[in-house]
Amino acid sequence: MWTLGTLSFVAPWALTALIGLPVLWWLLRITPPAPRRLRFPPLRILLNLATREESAAKSPLWLLILRMTIAVLLIFAVADPLFNAVQGLRGQGPLVLVVDNGWASARDWPARQAMMSDLIDESSRAERAVVLMPTAPGPEGRFPAVDLLSADEARTRAEAIRPQPWPTDRAGVLESLRASAALAEAPAGDVVWLGDGLVEGDTYDFVSGLRMFGPLRVLREGPGHLVALLQPPVAEGDDLIASATRPNGRGDAEIWIRAYGDDGTLLARQSTRFEAGDLETALTLSLPSELRNRLARLEIEDQTTAGAVALLDERWRRRPVGLVTAERNADPQPLLSEFYYVHKALQPFTEVRRGPVEELLGRELAVIVIADMSPLSDADRERIAAWIGEGGVALRFAGPRLAEGAANTDPQALLPVMLRDGGRTLGGALSWQEPATLAPFEPASPFHGLAVPEDVTVERQVLALPSLDLAEKTWARLSDGTPLVTAEKSGRGWLILVHTMANSDWSNLPISGLFVDMLRRIVTLSQGAVASPDATPLPPVEVLDGFGRLGPAPADTLAISGDVFTETRVSAVNPPGYYGQEDARRALNLAPQLDELRPLPSMPSGVEVSGYDKAPELSLKPWLLAAAFLLALLDYIASLAMRGLLRFRPSVAAGAAILAVVLFNGAAQAQSLDQLGGDQFALEASLTTRLAFVASGDDDIDSVSRAGLHGLSVIVNRRTAVELGPPVGIDPETDELLFFPLLYWPVTEQGAPSPDAVARLREYLAAGGMILFDTRDPNGTVSMNALRGLADSLELPPLVPVDSEHVLTRSYYLMRDFPGRWTGSLLWVEQAGERINDGVSTVVAGSHDWAGAWAMDEYQRHMFAVVPGGERQREMAYRFGINLIMYALTGNYKADQVHLPAILERLGL
Amino acid sequence: MSSSDTSSRRRAVHHEAEGLAATLPPLLVAAERVAATVAQGVHGRRRVGTGETFWQFRRYQGGDSAQMIDWRQSAKADPLYVRETEWEAAQSVWLWRDASPSMDYRSARSLPTKANRADLVTLALASLLLRASERVALLGTGMKPSSGRITLNRLAALIEGGQASTGSLPVGERLPRHARVILIGDFLVPLEDLRATVGALASRSLRGHLLQVLDPAEETLPFGGRVRFEGPEEEGDILFGRVESIRVDYREEMTRHHRGLEALARQVGWTFTTHRTDRPPQTPLLSLFLALSEIPDV
Repeated sequence: MWTLGTLSFVAPWALTALIGLPVLWWLLRITPPAPRRLRFPPLRILLNLATREESAAKSPLWLLILRMTIAVLLIFAVADPLFNAVQGLRGQGPLVLVVDNGWASARDWPARQAMMSDLIDESSRAERAVVLMPTAPGPEGRFPAVDLLSADEARTRAEAIRPQPWPTDRAGVLESLRASAALAEAPAGDVVWLGDGLVEGDTYDFVSGLRMFGPLRVLREGPGHLVALLQPPVAEGDDLIASATRPNGRGDAEIWIRAYGDDGTLLARQSTRFEAGDLETALTLSLPSELRNRLARLEIEDQTTAGAVALLDERWRRRPVGLVTAERNADPQPLLSEFYYVHKALQPFTEVRRGPVEELLGRELAVIVIADMSPLSDADRERIAAWIGEGGVALRFAGPRLAEGAANTDPQALLPVMLRDGGRTLGGALSWQEPATLAPFEPASPFHGLAVPEDVTVERQVLALPSLDLAEKTWARLSDGTPLVTAEKSGRGWLILVHTMANSDWSNLPISGLFVDMLRRIVTLSQGAVASPDATPLPPVEVLDGFGRLGPAPADTLAISGDVFTETRVSAVNPPGYYGQEDARRALNLAPQLDELRPLPSMPSGVEVSGYDKAPELSLKPWLLAAAFLLALLDYIASLAMRGLLRFRPSVAAGAAILAVVLFNGAAQAQSLDQLGGDQFALEASLTTRLAFVASGDDDIDSVSRAGLHGLSVIVNRRTAVELGPPVGIDPETDELLFFPLLYWPVTEQGAPSPDAVARLREYLAAGGMILFDTRDPNGTVSMNALRGLADSLELPPLVPVDSEHVLTRSYYLMRDFPGRWTGSLLWVEQAGERINDGVSTVVAGSHDWAGAWAMDEYQRHMFAVVPGGERQREMAYRFGINLIMYALTGNYKADQVHLPAILERLGL
Repeated sequence: MSSSDTSSRRRAVHHEAEGLAATLPPLLVAAERVAATVAQGVHGRRRVGTGETFWQFRRYQGGDSAQMIDWRQSAKADPLYVRETEWEAAQSVWLWRDASPSMDYRSARSLPTKANRADLVTLALASLLLRASERVALLGTGMKPSSGRITLNRLAALIEGGQASTGSLPVGERLPRHARVILIGDFLVPLEDLRATVGALASRSLRGHLLQVLDPAEETLPFGGRVRFEGPEEEGDILFGRVESIRVDYREEMTRHHRGLEALARQVGWTFTTHRTDRPPQTPLLSLFLALSEIPDV
């Protein structure tokens, strides 16, 4: 092999043929091209002219150059040039290839494989044996035997090496190599270490150990290409804080973190930045509790390593709440149960269990709720106290039994404050003339910020004994200053007492919205699920592979004993993943077990260091041959043309030109309706029936609106006789609205529209238009206010909730409620008969983010999960959309009494 | 090309010739002196002679055969009258078309070969003549002049069968005096050869017409580049490096050849016409029609 810069020749002797080129030049030059032969009757006349003309005996220069180029290409092709050939096998013995295949190598695995393949090719050319050693240990820390492999065997083995989701063990590899007899006998060869660029163990020892076997070459990731690590998130209140680390602080980099649900749906995607110099960055994920409970996995985008994936289990997701009852089965009289309102309030966002204390604490639990009637033995009290110390939250409600003074001075009483003893004291409390209302929450209270309704009253309560720390322990007070909720921190957990009953006997607090919010705050206060570990073996459910993908566990994966789960090291027998039962599984993550990431230090002198970004070896031979062939074809065509055997057909070229012009025009005409103006806009909008949305100017909202109306149009076109064109975004300031039967208006917090827009919108509504206002958030008060402001400026008539008789419930499908992405709120329309307009409401308003539920991407996949979820909700959202379009297009047609019998029959009435 | 294809193509020529001839009236050859044959025609020559149609009565003169007296007419008056009929005689026309290999040439697929066009014009002319009951023969085949529809079929068969002479010029044949000769070919022969042939015919008081059929490429030499030209009749070949450079010279040489042909025809009192195969065949047919019926050229 002969090398010239990045170019090497396998058969350089072939280049000697280049000497013959001048001869070839001369030969080609004196050989004229063959003439065209032509039969021609008036030859005699030509013969008379013969003496005057001498024929051209030389080839034209360009043809000569073309043919010489072909010759040169052929000579170079025979010399078999390689671009970026791998080189530098200096020793005589085998090539020792040490390949890092731990978790950090997965990200650029194809580059490593290509490099392995190049190196094996190289050793095959040099007829050298190969020793292939992956550094991620197998089960029990074992490594494959050190064998001298032929190139073919090495290739097969190299293809079988996969990145593994556990760390490397370089010291172990070095030991295996040292112990190998085959390697000890062989002459010194070359050593190549395909490293992952991270420190693991003693790098200096490893490098000097490898150099014992021959000159060492180290391939490592460039500083900008190192992997990042995602730590499992930590819960802080409602938020999850995920932190990512990287090995070096070079430059600032943005990473995106994706959150996936159980079923693989993308729940959130957020970005965070590594500032220059920072090794760590934190990301706050705020998700609604409904979504957060579905969270199963966080990952850094584009990393594809097991270290960039954090699996979440119940510790992060659910905040199970236990209600202490005597029996596990449900109460025979649910409405009289003390837990009825607690259960109702907690059900939507947590998992609620009932049962005796022992059973409840046997599983993971975040909050335990103890009512007055809950049976508590002394053993239970002890158990609960210990559990609180570990981070549990106990919520107690007062009641007649507590008020009668059952051992409230006992330290084991499970009370945050001392209560006044006996019924007498409580009797004083009963003598109030008027029920007490609540005072606003103080800033130190976890309830701070919740609005206090004026109609919440408390008729009876238990009273705390005054003490020095009573004020600190008080979270809520009545308007006369007596504590209503008191709490005490105990260990890592909380003990909370509500000084009134959990049902409506003593107070109407449990039937107010405030009660729900307070319970939510208490649940978010909890640390998450706390369980006392036992030694149950947890078999693997699903484990990560080296690329961070979940899959079934390999056969050699072992179960982990429950009591040592947190200390279990990730290894070949326990890869990261889920362990346990399908319904109660625990996540084993790689990232927390890794040491701090550090990039490889600089290598000692004499070690050749390079990166993976080197272009792969490329044989130029096929390209040269192909080029020579193409040029030869060109030469042939040129020769034919020179002999006049080819005729150029102008019609073909003209056809191609016309085609190009037509295509270009077609592309130019396919511009979006949004960019058209004037008559063109009017034509496009009126020739096809289209849905329109009010462009908010926020690209995120607009794209969702567009996708939503697109999705709805698809469904409407599929199911009904209505044929809708692509939706269009409009600006009421400038665009004519009259063409659109329905405007979708996602309400945002921007100010009221300009007077121009208001005038246009009023005109539109007066002319029979319809607007669907969507605040897109059932709990958002801000957008409600925005809608109110909008309604004021448009002078909309008062709205009423849709009743079961409204045309919207029967204009196409029979419906009772109108879910979108969310559900549970009301849909508002104009009062029937308020306006002339045939009793058809010009305004429909709601908060269910319908566009989000309708939204489809171009492959007709749904873009957003619906909450609480299920295909039925999605289907109902589409049905609402169809009903609405039918309502907009046909008005009160379905309200006609003619159809009433049929509708009644279908309703089964 | 198989023989069936050849015959079908030639039958097509036959039909095309009939179609072409249908556009013109029957061609009665003008003749001051009809060929010295005894054959009788059906068309009057507007003078007294043998025939069947009444022409005039005249006084009996001494020397007239008694059989010539028209007794019925003579009985009406004193003098004796002789009944005279109009001279009805047919002219004999010898047609010849060049069937040499040089005629089998066309410069583009859209054009007919020269031979094809020559055959077409020959047959169309024969058809016109035969409809006027003139007598037609194909020169060089030894056939006797004859008339009638069947003759056209014979002519066509002779042309189709390739039994006609294949030389570039007609071979000498003893033709009756005062007959007409039509020569159709490319006449790309040395002028001396042609002069000898035409002179021999003209010396027998034969009147004739020359129609030169040429391919457009033969007039304009539209080729370029390096070309080796080969003659179709074993004349050898010649190589030109740049055909463009000799084009002007070639055209001059061709014009000179034309002038030579014209002069030759004029010397013996014949007519000479040139026809290019990219022009419609009606043009040469019409000019031959006019020349034969001696209507002054318009």
